[in-house]
Amino acid sequence: MLPNRVLSNRVLSNRVVLALALAAFGCVWLLNLGVVQPNRIVTGTGYGLYAATGWLGAGIVSSLLLVVVVLATRPVHKRYEVLAALLTVALMTLPLLLEVFALHKLPTDSAYARIGIGAGFWCLAFFLALILLETLGQLRASRRFQLSTVLLIVAGWWLCASREGLSSLSLIREYTNRADQFAQALAVHLSLSLSAVAISAVLAFALALAMVRRERMRRPLLGLVSFMQTIPSLALFGLLIAPLGALSAAFPFLQALGIRGIGWAPALLALIAYSLLPMVRNTYVALIEVPESVVDAGRGMGMSERQIFMQVKLPLALPVIIEGVRITTIQAIGLTAVAALIGAGGFGTFIFQGLGQAAMDLVLLGALPTVFLALAADAILSALKFKEASR
Amino acid sequence: MIELKGVTRRFGDAVAVDDIDLTIETGEVCVLVGSSGCGKSTTLRMINRLLPSTSGEILVDGEDINKVDPEALRLNMGYAIQSTGLFPHWTVARNIGVVPNLLKWPARKRDERVNELLILLGLDPATDAIKYPHQLSGGQAQRVGVARALAGDPNILLMDEPFGALDAITRENLQQEMLRIQRQLNKTTVFVTHDIDEALKLATRIAVMDQGRIIQHDTPEAILRRPASAFVENLIGKGDRGLKLLALRTVGELMEGHSQPREPEPGADGLNEADSLRFALSVMVWENTLQLPVYNGAGEEVGTVKREHLLQGGA
Repeated sequence: MLPNRVLSNRVLSNRVVLALALAAFGCVWLLNLGVVQPNRIVTGTGYGLYAATGWLGAGIVSSLLLVVVVLATRPVHKRYEVLAALLTVALMTLPLLLEVFALHKLPTDSAYARIGIGAGFWCLAFFLALILLETLGQLRASRRFQLSTVLLIVAGWWLCASREGLSSLSLIREYTNRADQFAQALAVHLSLSLSAVAISAVLAFALALAMVRRERMRRPLLGLVSFMQTIPSLALFGLLIAPLGALSAAFPFLQALGIRGIGWAPALLALIAYSLLPMVRNTYVALIEVPESVVDAGRGMGMSERQIFMQVKLPLALPVIIEGVRITTIQAIGLTAVAALIGAGGFGTFIFQGLGQAAMDLVLLGALPTVFLALAADAILSALKFKEASR
Repeated sequence: MIELKGVTRRFGDAVAVDDIDLTIETGEVCVLVGSSGCGKSTTLRMINRLLPSTSGEILVDGEDINKVDPEALRLNMGYAIQSTGLFPHWTVARNIGVVPNLLKWPARKRDERVNELLILLGLDPATDAIKYPHQLSGGQAQRVGVARALAGDPNILLMDEPFGALDAITRENLQQEMLRIQRQLNKTTVFVTHDIDEALKLATRIAVMDQGRIIQHDTPEAILRRPASAFVENLIGKGDRGLKLLALRTVGELMEGHSQPREPEPGADGLNEADSLRFALSVMVWENTLQLPVYNGAGEEVGTVKREHLLQGGA
């Protein structure tokens, strides 16, 4: 009865979901769900799940995880569909836990008191997301479906965050105090990293082409871009200050353009330098790995070199080139945060301010959007690569 | 007509092709045969200028190929290679349509041509045309390769071991298709192979090459009967050259024809006009008979072939 056994094995138990649910259960009961701080700098008092949200919150969270465990181990009809729906709703409404916590524990007499997010909350969110990921994998969900799930959850958090009940959340306080700066940081962060990627993509394409055409250019060029990658980012940002400062002092028109020793100019240069290696390497490898027989056939049939390049080599190389752009974009978004140190702006500003003031939620205000931007870039470029590769 | 006059090709100090003269008449299939490294592929690739010749002259229909734009030259020469070289990101139909596209044919004419070729090569226009190369079997991919070479209706066909990577049965099938297509289209063909049986089967004339030189250039029959050197004798194999000779002729050529086609006797075993004499002999030995009836394509008995004749006049 082989088919039956295979079926029951597949249906009976999903150990990944089971293990994740148990881990989430342990974390949410053992770690602090939230913290109450008298002001933005002092370390606050932590509260566990039961202390923070009372029987109602603790009961809902525990029974949710219990249902997940049951679905993971029992052959329930359409259980992955049920799991996906349940987890999406749970993740969308997760911030409400913090709202209940604020309602219970926030002292009403202090204008500076605020609540922070505890490790238990982060762990719960993280494990629920992993279970959802596994569930979507089991369902073989399409990219579109996965994307809509993510958008639903983001929308849920957005709605929760804009509610009055969560205005005492430290992270949101930091945000409301800096709403204008936040918008500006987003604009600067995006334009810096994206223009660095765009410029280095053009440069890298030219360099890779030169390497393909002239084999002896390969070693020195790859050596150069690899060398730039080995300079610590902070050092490179610093090293550019002096020459750019001197240039700007010598040529007033550069100063008028906003090019100075600090600010966006050295940041952009350094980001371009770092972006070159992954981009050049991927483009070069992609171009030389087009099978020789395919090129030979194209040439033998009467295609010109230009036609071979545009119609054969480039389309075949494109998925690998896009992979290079993906790696570079993620790297550039991360490095732009460091560029705040030389006055380039962006989300790094919040991170370093927060570190300076020992205000962890201000650090988060810079770090979380940076991570989010990197994930979004990853998702978009992966989808693009997948589309190209499947053509 | 393709003429090679004193053509030499060197790679550094090594001489790949050494001062060869070769004339390939219009409509004939010239097979270059020899072991690997003998210069046969190099010779082929000089004809469409994928490799420049070091010295000598190559003329196509009397015109020096070095005076023609290489791309224009190649557009008039179909090109098929062992590894097929199909574009992996294009469908079968688009692969076959490459040269018509390069020649800027109107879309309709191109699509009709693609359909025509799919049918000619035994592929299904409805299902196979939209497949990608990785979805094809080796034999199918090579059929597409040949179709692509024929698509622009070139005067000349260059084929570099096109069936070399296929299994014996698929290769045999494609060789039969090649013969059928060649009877229909009469392209001037240069065909490179290391397989002497393939050469004997497909060629109107064979050029045996060794160490960059042409050792013998003659019809398959003449090569078998009068090998020019020990090398050629070795290549064709002494053991079964008689049988190879028999394989060159068909039953239809040797049979005693009836004055008029007859209804076949029910249940009688026989041969087809197009079967080779080698096959006829094999059947006779197996069935231990002295003669066999011969049928035409319509199934009528058109003659008989006798073992006696076969042994006396077959080879």
